[in-house]
Amino acid sequence: MSEAATFHGQARARRGWSLRFYIMEVCLIALILALFLLAPGFGSSANLLNVFRSVSMLGIIAFGMTAVIISGEIDLSVGSGVALAGCFAAWAVELLTPVTGDVAAVLLGALGAVAIGMACGLFTGTLRAQFNVPSFITTLGLFTALRGAANLLTDGFPLASFPGWFGFFGNGSVYGIPFPVFVFVAVFAGMHFLMSHTAFGRAVYAVGGNAEAARLSGIWVGGVKTMTFVITGALTAISGLLIASQIGSGTGSTAAGLELDVIAAVIIGGTDLFGGRGRITGTLIGVLFLGFIGNGMTLMNVSDYWQYVVRGGLIVGALLLNQVLERR
Amino acid sequence: MTEANSIELRGVTKAYGENIALRNVSLCFAPGRVHALMGKNGSGKSTLIEILAGSIAPTLGEVWVGGRQVVLMGPGDALAAGIATVHQELSLVPSLTIAENIFLGRLPRRRRFGVTAVDWRRIRREAAVLLADMEVDLDADQRVDCLTVGQQQAVEIVKAAASNPKILLLDEPTSALAGHEVGQLFALIRRLRDRGVTIIYISHRMNELFEICDTCTVLRDGMLVGSVELAQSNPAEIVSMMFGERATHRINRSDLVRTTPVLSVEGLARGGVFSDISFALYPGEVLGFAGMLGSGRTEVLRAIFGADRPDRGRIVLRGQEVRNPTPRRMRDLGLAYTPEDRKHQSLVQTASISDNLVMANLSRIAPGGILRPRLQQGLVERQIANLQIKAADPGLPVSSLSGGNQQKVVVGNWLNTGPRVIFFDEPTRGIDLAAKQQIFDIVAAQSAAGVASVFVSSELEEVHSIAHRILVLHHGRIVGDIDPRHISLSDLYSYCMKGTLNV
Repeated sequence: MSEAATFHGQARARRGWSLRFYIMEVCLIALILALFLLAPGFGSSANLLNVFRSVSMLGIIAFGMTAVIISGEIDLSVGSGVALAGCFAAWAVELLTPVTGDVAAVLLGALGAVAIGMACGLFTGTLRAQFNVPSFITTLGLFTALRGAANLLTDGFPLASFPGWFGFFGNGSVYGIPFPVFVFVAVFAGMHFLMSHTAFGRAVYAVGGNAEAARLSGIWVGGVKTMTFVITGALTAISGLLIASQIGSGTGSTAAGLELDVIAAVIIGGTDLFGGRGRITGTLIGVLFLGFIGNGMTLMNVSDYWQYVVRGGLIVGALLLNQVLERR
Repeated sequence: MTEANSIELRGVTKAYGENIALRNVSLCFAPGRVHALMGKNGSGKSTLIEILAGSIAPTLGEVWVGGRQVVLMGPGDALAAGIATVHQELSLVPSLTIAENIFLGRLPRRRRFGVTAVDWRRIRREAAVLLADMEVDLDADQRVDCLTVGQQQAVEIVKAAASNPKILLLDEPTSALAGHEVGQLFALIRRLRDRGVTIIYISHRMNELFEICDTCTVLRDGMLVGSVELAQSNPAEIVSMMFGERATHRINRSDLVRTTPVLSVEGLARGGVFSDISFALYPGEVLGFAGMLGSGRTEVLRAIFGADRPDRGRIVLRGQEVRNPTPRRMRDLGLAYTPEDRKHQSLVQTASISDNLVMANLSRIAPGGILRPRLQQGLVERQIANLQIKAADPGLPVSSLSGGNQQKVVVGNWLNTGPRVIFFDEPTRGIDLAAKQQIFDIVAAQSAAGVASVFVSSELEEVHSIAHRILVLHHGRIVGDIDPRHISLSDLYSYCMKGTLNV
């Protein structure tokens, strides 16, 4: 039997290698080659590391979002979640440093931020499972509320309460590789394992593909969906902490609109917005695609406004490409 | 009675490839009368209705309305020819008012201040007139979702009548109605008949036919058996016309020794759906549930399996009383359920054949939560071999299989759980003859291995030939517990339709 089919938790169109299955990989390679030729300075190691650093923050969340979308749900609150995590950590550090010292304060602030992220996921999942409130609505509410909460904690100003060493997590490097990239790779590996090699991952695909069939097969549909939100909440908080470290403060206005970039990366990566189909590796491609194209356009002095237009076209184009190839 | 309202079929044949659904049917429905159309599942009854409604085109033959040939290439043609249809599933928009529903798709407009706008006043006025004319006592401004099913059915008929049809097709209009609502519906039908409308009425409820219909036309195996005047007929004659003489499936029924039940149910009830359901199921027994559509067959199975929550009752499975059944808990106790709707309830169409075969077995293939491909492969290969699933590659999407093979995947998924009791809900729906025989063989083999099962099918001959014992359900109650060897198929049929045995 074909390992590939179960490996990705989705059925392959036909046996063996098909172009359709690897179309995004092919596009990404073509893009990278084009940028090497067209964008001055694209190939320098400093530039490439910079791209990886910048996509890490987005990618960490995108891997969680992939699970949410495969399960047939959506999470619009991640951008605000990032802001809240940073602001909460900054607020806690300011409050606790005089009492506990800076190391314990940062640790408690970070743990608290992750716990809040997970609690938000639990909230969304519970409302979905117990009261049938669409996650679109709940997370749209959180999208506004969390951003408000972040600004309440910091009085609307950047709160630069972190000790100097905290900046390492966002800006520092180990063996020349930016620290966030390690987190990004670890989250990628973990989520890939979870989605492709565990019973939970298989249940996520089943629930998103046909919730009723999954339920009648004895799968705990509400629990599975809630878990994907909790994971995404935790990853959002981790990303938020890295961003706070990078900019050196908790800022209520950080990561505005990030949720759309995250969803875009997942969709470009071939995940079906209706659930049941998608891959963590696809999301990796989507994240890199967005990162490289943004970087390439900046290097080629394309204006910000054009970049928005191109990114918008990219999302629709990628989806259209998938649909057309699907139908063939 | 105007001859213009007669409808006639001349040599109508409908073939789907090799399968012939209707074979050279010629008949004439006289105007201004209510004609019953009878036949069991697969008799060609639905095909005939769909042809008249314009939903499908006949392979051969002609349809004549009022002495003129009509070509029905779509529902619009049927309406233009004066044929209106009220389908079994209501087709009203729940969030709109009665008036809006009646005029849906043809809202009258008028020009006002140079802008063409919907003429709401006229819609309300005309809807009110139509309702009053049909003596339906409802406010045209009421939203449809506030109405009872019976009232909605009445609105459907008023809506159909609003187009001044010559012929009205009613497909099981009473299947969802309560007793007093049926009476009101019949009054409405008689009113239309008295105006000269030709009505073709499909129902499985024998007693209704004799109440509302004037003639009865019977189809069997795609052919016209005949038409009779109901005033000069009786239910037994109709039933024998429907069944004729036919061979039954050959099935090896294993011998049965009833000792301790593996599943017993006492006083199970679910509001408005079924009540007072009590039975015991013994190891190796195949228990048939017989009953017409809407008798509660599926609902009882779903409640025991925990798919829906029962209001009352006691369920004891393998010696353990289960208070709040959930699919997960029942599965772990050794109960399997193959739902009636393969596409929506059983299979994850986006996933592979292989993944669907282990859907209910995730803990089995993933000890400690980590998937072991080899364990999955073992379960998958075993079922593909045992059930003779024709799959070139288990990694292909399950949607690539034929209906029969998909059904075997559903069964295989559940056999992998090692069940002691299996509920087969319509396992033969929409699959070919060879696959049906294979499904029967699977049921028989499980029975021989000591696994108990409940077998539900709309095809009564299947239940009749496979079950050790048959429970007859009627309006959500068990009205009979019979040994299939002591009842003829046609008696069983009228038992299911009328809820009593005396014909």
